[in-house]
Amino acid sequence: MRNYLLKLKTFLLALALIFCANLVANAQSRTVTGTVMDPILGESIPGATVLIKGTTRGTATDLDGKFSLDLQAGDEVLVISFIGYLPQEVEIGNQTNITINLEEDIQSLEEAVVIGYGTQDKKEITSAVVAVKPEDFNKGNVSNPAQLLQGKVAGLSITRPGGNPNAGFNVRLRGLSTFGANSSPLIVLDGVIGASLDNVDPNDIQSIDVLKDGSAAAIYGARGSSGVILITTTKKNPKDGRVNVSVNSFGTMDQATNLIPILSPEEFVERGGTDYGSATDWRDELIDDSFSYTTNASVSGGFNNTNYMASVNYRNNQGIVNGVSNERLNTRINLSQGALDNRLRLNVNLSFTNVDRESINNDAFRFATLYNPTAPIYDDSQAALERFGGYFQADVLDFFNPVALANQQKFVGETKSALTSYRAEFDLLPNLTISAQYSQDRSNTLSGDFWSKQDYQVGLNADGSAQRRTNDRVQKIFESTLRYELDLTDGLNMTLLGGVATQSTENQGFNARVKQYLFDLGWDNLGAGAIRVGANTEVASYANQDQLNSLFGRANFNLNNQFFFSASVRAETYSGFGENNQTGVFPAVSLGSDFTQLFDMGLFSQFKPRASFGVTGNLPPSPTLALGVYGNGNRVDLDGDPLTQNDVYVGIVQNSNPNKELKWETKAEINVGLDFGVWNNKLTGSMDYYIRNISDLLFNVPVAPGTPNVFDPGRFNTVSSTWVNLADLRAAGFEFAVSAHDISLGGIKWHPSVNFTLYDKTTIESLSAGDLGFDELRFATPGSPGQNNNPIIYNRVGQTLGDFYGPVLEGFTDGGEYILSTTDPDKFEKIGNGLPKGEFGFANNFVYGGWNLSFFFRGAWGHDLFNSYRGFYENQDAISNTWNSVVTDKTPFVTSSPTFNSSYIEDASFIRLDNMELGYNFTTRSPNLNSLRVYFAAQNLFTITNYTGIDPEVRITDAENGNGFTSSLSPGIERRSTYFQTRSFTLGVALNFK
Amino acid sequence: MLKYISKICLLVPALFLLGSCWELEQEVLDGVTPEDVANSNNPQLIEVLKASAYSRIVGSWGGHNGIWSINEIASDEMVIPQRGPDWEDGGIWLRVHKHEWTTSEDAINNSWDYCFTAIGEINNLIIGFPDVEALVAELKVLRALPYLWLIDSFGNVPIVTEESLGGNPANNTRQEVFDFIERSILDNIEFLPKEDTRTTLNYYSAQAMLAKLYLNAEVYTGTPRWADAEAAANEVIAGPYSLSSNFFANFATRNSGSTENILTLPYDENNAAGLNLAMMTLHTVSQATFDLTAQPWNGYASMEEFYNNYDDADVRKDAFLEGPQFASDGSRLLDQAAEAADPDGQPLTYTPEINMLFPNGLRQAGVRIGKFEFASGAGQELSNDYPLFRLGEIILTKAEAAFRQGKTAEALDALNQVRMRAGLEPLASITLDAIYDERGFEMFAEASRRTDMIRFGKFGQPWWEKGTSQSFRELFPIPLSQINRNPNLTQNPGY
Repeated sequence: MRNYLLKLKTFLLALALIFCANLVANAQSRTVTGTVMDPILGESIPGATVLIKGTTRGTATDLDGKFSLDLQAGDEVLVISFIGYLPQEVEIGNQTNITINLEEDIQSLEEAVVIGYGTQDKKEITSAVVAVKPEDFNKGNVSNPAQLLQGKVAGLSITRPGGNPNAGFNVRLRGLSTFGANSSPLIVLDGVIGASLDNVDPNDIQSIDVLKDGSAAAIYGARGSSGVILITTTKKNPKDGRVNVSVNSFGTMDQATNLIPILSPEEFVERGGTDYGSATDWRDELIDDSFSYTTNASVSGGFNNTNYMASVNYRNNQGIVNGVSNERLNTRINLSQGALDNRLRLNVNLSFTNVDRESINNDAFRFATLYNPTAPIYDDSQAALERFGGYFQADVLDFFNPVALANQQKFVGETKSALTSYRAEFDLLPNLTISAQYSQDRSNTLSGDFWSKQDYQVGLNADGSAQRRTNDRVQKIFESTLRYELDLTDGLNMTLLGGVATQSTENQGFNARVKQYLFDLGWDNLGAGAIRVGANTEVASYANQDQLNSLFGRANFNLNNQFFFSASVRAETYSGFGENNQTGVFPAVSLGSDFTQLFDMGLFSQFKPRASFGVTGNLPPSPTLALGVYGNGNRVDLDGDPLTQNDVYVGIVQNSNPNKELKWETKAEINVGLDFGVWNNKLTGSMDYYIRNISDLLFNVPVAPGTPNVFDPGRFNTVSSTWVNLADLRAAGFEFAVSAHDISLGGIKWHPSVNFTLYDKTTIESLSAGDLGFDELRFATPGSPGQNNNPIIYNRVGQTLGDFYGPVLEGFTDGGEYILSTTDPDKFEKIGNGLPKGEFGFANNFVYGGWNLSFFFRGAWGHDLFNSYRGFYENQDAISNTWNSVVTDKTPFVTSSPTFNSSYIEDASFIRLDNMELGYNFTTRSPNLNSLRVYFAAQNLFTITNYTGIDPEVRITDAENGNGFTSSLSPGIERRSTYFQTRSFTLGVALNFK
Repeated sequence: MLKYISKICLLVPALFLLGSCWELEQEVLDGVTPEDVANSNNPQLIEVLKASAYSRIVGSWGGHNGIWSINEIASDEMVIPQRGPDWEDGGIWLRVHKHEWTTSEDAINNSWDYCFTAIGEINNLIIGFPDVEALVAELKVLRALPYLWLIDSFGNVPIVTEESLGGNPANNTRQEVFDFIERSILDNIEFLPKEDTRTTLNYYSAQAMLAKLYLNAEVYTGTPRWADAEAAANEVIAGPYSLSSNFFANFATRNSGSTENILTLPYDENNAAGLNLAMMTLHTVSQATFDLTAQPWNGYASMEEFYNNYDDADVRKDAFLEGPQFASDGSRLLDQAAEAADPDGQPLTYTPEINMLFPNGLRQAGVRIGKFEFASGAGQELSNDYPLFRLGEIILTKAEAAFRQGKTAEALDALNQVRMRAGLEPLASITLDAIYDERGFEMFAEASRRTDMIRFGKFGQPWWEKGTSQSFRELFPIPLSQINRNPNLTQNPGY
């Protein structure tokens, strides 16, 4: 759209010039004619400007790319320019007909940055926005769009500990900024706000733009607090009449890596372990190298005012454990049609995705590590055949044969999602455009859970159990915008945008679980389960919906490409807040100036300091928190007689304390930054410093049950926590990114880029509102056995978020017992923090002839992890004769029972060769084949770290700690059920047909 | 031109606004709001709401990590030794045993939450139906029940009624709480039915509450009320109850046959979860004894001295699981993880002796709590109705109250009723210690021991792996977490 307008502007300018030129035209000596061409496409370029150097006289090329210009005496050089191409000067000499081949300006083409409701020239941007193009994406078997960006954008933290193909990525921009509905950045997919990443295949992505600071995100108001990631799918072939067919196919092998060392069967027996007489390498039995394959195919093209793109992406990813897989089929059609001389543009984007997932109980990873290495896999006794399906099982608390566990429980899910969006744009005037867009994002997940009759952990007790679940989500958005561009005076350019939007979201689902089967029919026949009430059974359904209405506007000014200013405001009304607090207003301003346009800056080709301020909000995690909703209580039999059933009801109890004053949480962020280019933009970069203050944070705080509810006068608290606008958080950070373009090393072109972030970790400024106030909130216990009641993370006012607290291990007695600094939880000291001090990425691309090589390092430093394996399974205490022990280079001789202390908090700083790729482009003379590329990629080749657990990756959230709220407050815990790390090797071929 | 444009800019959103609503109504699809409840004309609604309030009381009473746990473990009848890596749990159960608990123990906070959650639910209900006289009366007595536990465990707690609509309530004195409980019961007892209602309050359970309140009046207020305690106990004894000839009928899975239970918490594995005794006490492999559908946790055991105090002829000694343990098919149970140091080896044997409190209590050490029937095939949730008040206790209350007034004969007669039902010879004479011991034998695992020990002045005395504790330990601290939530609360003395 922006590009189009620019072209239009250029065209208009050219027309004006022709007009002027004609006015001033006098008797000429001669005329020069010519054609302006794109040599690569072999096509002419209409609308290109042809100026006589040193004058204002000139013309524009017609629709066939031709021009004709009258010359005066002294006219020697033509300057030909067109947006997207490098300007070119041509000596006229004696020529009367000149063909000019313009070279495409790669840099310039990339400069249109998507900023939300439009694009902006990169040079005009005054907030912290980063655009990432496909050539910079991570390589290898990347099946999730988030993974494309891992380590690529300073301040954007993307993690997935372990190699589970079904696990999602945790994404945080500039650290944690909320506990509300969205702690991950908002995804805007082709203009559809809040779309699910399931709807897009990485292969279809044309660009990803990350809106980092408050001012850039403020145009998305309520949903922008955690930052915004804008994803644009491949739209079209830029030139008319061409069809582009591309096929990309690759196969991947995954293998487990970085397994924690454990005792061999001999060592285990020697130490006094129970000897069952066998020798089993449980991890070897559980895991196996796996093979996955992926094919992407797409067709795109355009003619006249029609553009289309259709693609199909099939991914079949197998986990390193039998029974773990992720199979995905995604189809996309993007179609746009111009009408009325292209003044009316209609656009339809359709995307359909099916994902089939298979999972196992991740406890299998824990037991594969610590199950008795002398135990056999199978047991052919009659009792074992009958009870355990022939697997060996030991009657020990919480101890299960991992092979049996992986085989006798089964979890599947299939998600069907459809994202459809329809958009119409109409140019009321050449510079005034109205648009309307409607989109529907719909997804349905059907899951099945199964515990065999012979599954020792759950199924045996339930005599076989199975469950079916569905979850449906529909989000509908209607948006309308009006956009106006104007040159106010000479050199002052203004763009105005106004819009309204309404969004509704509905969630619903149901589940049923039964037990006691005669045959293992599982979820395919729930009717065959005899027992439908009580433990291991369930019948339930849920539904909720909410509505958000918005009104927004933005103004951008550009003065002579020297000064840039932008201001926006968005007002939002959300149904889920208290009646008087539904509307929030989120303003933003930003400004910048390119000093190279003002002064001679020597080496610098760009030097643009900028500053911005923006306010964003956040939605609460549930839309009914302001209302006193009664939920289900116990079943009550009114007469107490089980024989009469007509007086049995499910009681109602108030399961949440309403907060009728619930209001918008706001994040105010100041960002100062500098964009720079040196040596004619051979080296470009940016740096940013931000400070953010989050106030009225939506927080689920403990309240005193039974006391009057101050947020709902006249009623009483019936549960011990209420969502209120409570805490204040402060965070800051510095981000730096620099890349060099096409450095020549002999015949090799090198394109390195580096980015890093220094975090000033989030500080808890306050945990108070009105009468409510806290000094600290404790979360996260290590777990069973024996560490159930000792929270290890204290969130304290004035301290950083998520600090580990525990006793300091001061040494050992001669008998190998701990000497701890204290056992009083109130005297525990701060012994670490799970959030990093910094993160970095270092990418390198080399091109030599048809070869290209890229490798990418990334890492994080200054974060700690609680190594749960060591925290439970390295001591030679009495019970260690039953289970195997981990033996790391940090393992001391300890005889005490495991107790959380400072020695289990490890520095997990790491550097990882995240991915590398070697590819070769074959030259092709085939009339049909444009390009043929063969590539080999490897992921997770090696990691340098002192951490002795499974994966030193930053843990933003805690998988085992309650809801999304408390899990964000307890970072840095590596749980025992962590999926093993994997290393992948990929071999692929990409074909491009004409 | 610009003017024209700006008009359009305003016009388009304005048009849109007309069609949309900026005061948004939040719909509730899968729950009901207080308005829905107020507008309902369902005839059974009130009964269901009342039952829902009772279900808050049923709640987590009989589970781990709550009020039952702290009362039992702080007394001399039960202990959770640290069994190697099991049950260390941050040291809370060792601290509770040794009377060294801090102000921020989970279990103590849970106990407070449990009581006050019920109080909040009851207050909301009273506000909702102020005109239904009988309902309000019953709810006010019901509200006194958690206060009875609060005055006993925490003492100076805030009184929160349907009229307390200010902000955070401050502490009341223990005397005020005492008066509040007494008044709540006395003012409303006439509205309560006199039939044997068993799972809901009636006249007799209200009298039983009074008996308990008066029996401990000296502890709670400094002023003894022995005569009132005896009078209330006599009211109950005159009611439609009699001692069950089979002591254990009161604790059976189907204990509706008990003639003795006055008020019970009607736990049900399907409908009313919260009684987890089998999990809490049994060794993991004892699962096979009862064919349980969940693996027990091997925690709570009885203290050796307490167990050995029982007369071998006492039928109530069967309330303990002791000695070799067998599967339901009669085969001997084996603990494959038994410690090398265990003299019993792998065959599972519950021994009265517990080798150490921590860190390496043997997995099999300690006799287990078998007073409540563990139904064959039960899971984590038991279906036994837990007796909050039963005649056996009331008779002992009468014995004690009478004895303390010098009515020795009546006291001896009452005491002997209970002894004879237990298969013991009647005593010829009575002492305060005999009453104390008898209460111990009778009330084991019914969360009465801590209260009794305090009343008899024995709570601070040393016992196994516990030194002398100071008298301020006779109250639990107001949980720090509650003080954080409500800064108007003042901590109990000593903490």
